[in-house]
Amino acid sequence: MPDNEGLMDRFVDRLPETAFFKFVAARILTPLWAWWTPVKPLPGGPHPSFQHGDNVQCMMNLIMPLKDKSPVGRAHAAMAISQHKDAIFAGLNNVGTVHFARFVIVGDNICMFSVYDGDFTNYIRDFIATIGEVFDAVVGLVEGGEKVIPCDKNVEAFIQWVHERDLYQVPDTPTDFLRDQERLNGDKAVAPVNDDLTLLPRKMVLQLRANANVSLGSGYRAYPGYSVAQVRKQLGLGW
Amino acid sequence: MFDLSDLQGNVLRGYKDKPYVRYLILEIADRVVARRWLAAAISGRDHDVPQITSGDWGKAKPRTCFNIGLTYEGLRALGTPGSSLAMFPNEFIEGITARALKLGDVGASAPDTWPSPFNEPKRIHLIATIYAENVAQLDQVQQRALDRNALTLLGMREGNNFDGDFVHFGYRDNIMQPRFEGIHDPERHADGQPLAPLGTVLLGHPTNLEGLQWRVPQPTQLGHNGTFNAFRVLKQDVVGFENYLDQAASDLLTHPKVDEVLPPGGELKVCEVFEIEPPSRHAALREVVAAYLCGRWRDGTPLALSADMPDANVDRAKFDYDESSRCPYGAHIRRCNPRGGHIVQRVANNSRRLVRRGVPYGPAYKRDKSGDAGKTEPERGLLGNFIGASLGAQFEAMSCDWLNLGLQDPRITGSNDPITGTNDPATSWFDLPLKSGGTIRLRGLPEFVSTRGGAYTFLPSLSAIRYLGSLTA
Repeated sequence: MPDNEGLMDRFVDRLPETAFFKFVAARILTPLWAWWTPVKPLPGGPHPSFQHGDNVQCMMNLIMPLKDKSPVGRAHAAMAISQHKDAIFAGLNNVGTVHFARFVIVGDNICMFSVYDGDFTNYIRDFIATIGEVFDAVVGLVEGGEKVIPCDKNVEAFIQWVHERDLYQVPDTPTDFLRDQERLNGDKAVAPVNDDLTLLPRKMVLQLRANANVSLGSGYRAYPGYSVAQVRKQLGLGW
Repeated sequence: MFDLSDLQGNVLRGYKDKPYVRYLILEIADRVVARRWLAAAISGRDHDVPQITSGDWGKAKPRTCFNIGLTYEGLRALGTPGSSLAMFPNEFIEGITARALKLGDVGASAPDTWPSPFNEPKRIHLIATIYAENVAQLDQVQQRALDRNALTLLGMREGNNFDGDFVHFGYRDNIMQPRFEGIHDPERHADGQPLAPLGTVLLGHPTNLEGLQWRVPQPTQLGHNGTFNAFRVLKQDVVGFENYLDQAASDLLTHPKVDEVLPPGGELKVCEVFEIEPPSRHAALREVVAAYLCGRWRDGTPLALSADMPDANVDRAKFDYDESSRCPYGAHIRRCNPRGGHIVQRVANNSRRLVRRGVPYGPAYKRDKSGDAGKTEPERGLLGNFIGASLGAQFEAMSCDWLNLGLQDPRITGSNDPITGTNDPATSWFDLPLKSGGTIRLRGLPEFVSTRGGAYTFLPSLSAIRYLGSLTA
C-alpha cells in the first residue's frame, strides 16, 4: 500500500499543472467546494495585535465599485477627488496619524490606499469629523454609498461600510492564513489534512473566490515601528 | 435645564454619601418574570423590588441607590426586537471580551484567565449596582432584588470607598468629572475645560466631534438618553507598586540630574506633606516617582501646577497642559485626558472624555517597612465604570491609542501607561521631564493593574426600562 500511495501522491502532485485539471479546478471543483463548504470572506484591515510595532503604519486598501461603470462615471470620480483635493489633504493633516494616502481608479473602482497609525475606527471617525462632506461627495458615487451618507449622521454604519470594503490582508505565512480562517469559523482545531501547505490550500482558494481582491503580505516598510508624528518630529517638520 | 428624572442616577451622580457598593452579576432566569421585575423596579409603587434610582430624586434623598446595566445578551434575553438590537454599536454587540486586544487585556489580563462569573460572558445579562451606607443595607437590597426569581445571581463584586477619597496605590481620587452643557451641577466648580456636550454621555444629543451623532437604537424610548458603560474589575498589585517606587527612588538617588526632580532640601517638605518619619531623600523620591507616573502627587496636587512640591492650596481641578508643563506627556492622567494640550490627533482633544465611577475593593494597604516578602496579600483593586455615549469613540479610543500605544505624542509613542498599561518590565519605559529640557528614563515597570473581569453594558433611561418591561414578544 505505501508504494501505491507514493504513486498516487506523485500523480496528484503533477495534476495542477495539466490544462485539464486547471479547467476542472477553476470551473467545476472550486464552485463545488464553495457550495459544499461555504467560506465566509475574511474581514479587511490589519490583523488585531497588541504589539506597538503592529499598530503603527497600518495599511488601508479601500476598493469602492463605482455606480456608473463608464468613462463618464470614472471621470466623475476623478473630478470628485480633484475638486476636493485641498480639503482632503487638510483633513488628513488634521487627523494627524496618516503617513500616506492615495486615490486611484482601477477598472470601475475608486480606490483609496493609505497608511495610518493606531486604531482603524479612530482614524475613520476623526476623518469624518474633519471632512465628512468630502467623504459624502465621493461615497455618493459608489455602489451602496447612499445608505451611509451623510456620514456624520451615520458614523457607526459608515465606519462599518468602509471596513467592509477594506481589503483582507493575507498574512505572510499560510499557517497564519489558516489561523484566520479557523478563527472566523470559531474553530479551535488545527487545520485538517486537506490544507496541506505544500499544495495550494483549499481554504486559500475558496477565500480568494469569496474575496477576489486582497492585499498580500504585510508590505515593506523602510522605517518600521515609527508613527507619523515621530518621523515629523525627527525631521523638524512639526507634528 | 435638562430633565434628569429620565436618567439613571449613577450616570451623572457619584452617590458620595453611599460608600458601600455591591455589583450583582445576573442572568435572566425567565424572560417574562424579568420584564415584570423591570416594570416593578420603576413603578414607584412596588417596593418589594428595589426601585431604580433616577437622576432626580427630589427632596427625599434615597437611603440606598439601585441602578442597572444590560449587556447585549441581556437585551436579547429580554426579547428586544432584532431590528433594535442591530442598531447597537458593534463593540457593544461583540462584548468586552472580543475587544481584548484593543483594551490591552492580554497576558495576565486576558479574558480566558478571568475568574467566575466573567469566564462565561454570554451568561452575564444584567449588572445591578447597589449603593448603600453600610453592608446590612446592601444585603437587604440584594435580597429584595433576587426575591422574585427573575434573575439568577452568577456572582458579585463589592467594594467600599476609603476615607478621604483615597484609592489603592495611595492616590487621592474623585477629583474630576466632566461637566456637561445643560446640566445644573452646583457641586463642581470650573476646571478650565470646556463644558462637555451632553452627547458625550447620552445618546441622542450633540457630541464633542462637531456634527457627529451616534446612532440611537430605536424605538426612541429604548435608545434616547441611554449610555454605555465599560465595567472593569481591575486588580491592583499594591505591593508591586510600592516596591517599584523603592527601586526607582534608589535609581534616582544616584542619578546626576536628580536635583532637577527634587531640589536639594525638598525632601523635608515632601515628607512633611505625606507625614513620612523620619524624612529622607529616598522616601521623598518615592513620592516624586509616584507623582510623575500619575501626573498628580498622591495628595491630588496636579504636577501641571506644582511639579516641585505637593501644594494643598492649588486648585486640583483647574489646569491645562502646554509645552512648558512639567507634567510628563506619558503620565496617567495626561494620557487619559490630554485636555487642551497639543496632541497628534488634533480633532480628538476633549472628545474621548468619560464619566468615571470607581470604588476600591480589598482592604486598604498599610505598608509594612519591615518588608512584605512572604506575606500573602489579599486581592485589591478597583471596580471601575467608564461611562460614555460611545464605547468605541471614547473608552476604546482612549484605551488603545492613548493608554497603550501613546500615539498622541511622539515622545511617548511605543510606551504604555505607566500605572494602568499592559507593561512588560523587559521593554517598558517612562520619561521624567527635567527643568533643563532633558529627561530621565525609568525602566522596568511591571504590570501594576490587571483586568480580572468586566462587561460592556447599556445603561438604559427610565423610559427604556419601561419599554423593556412592556415587551411582549
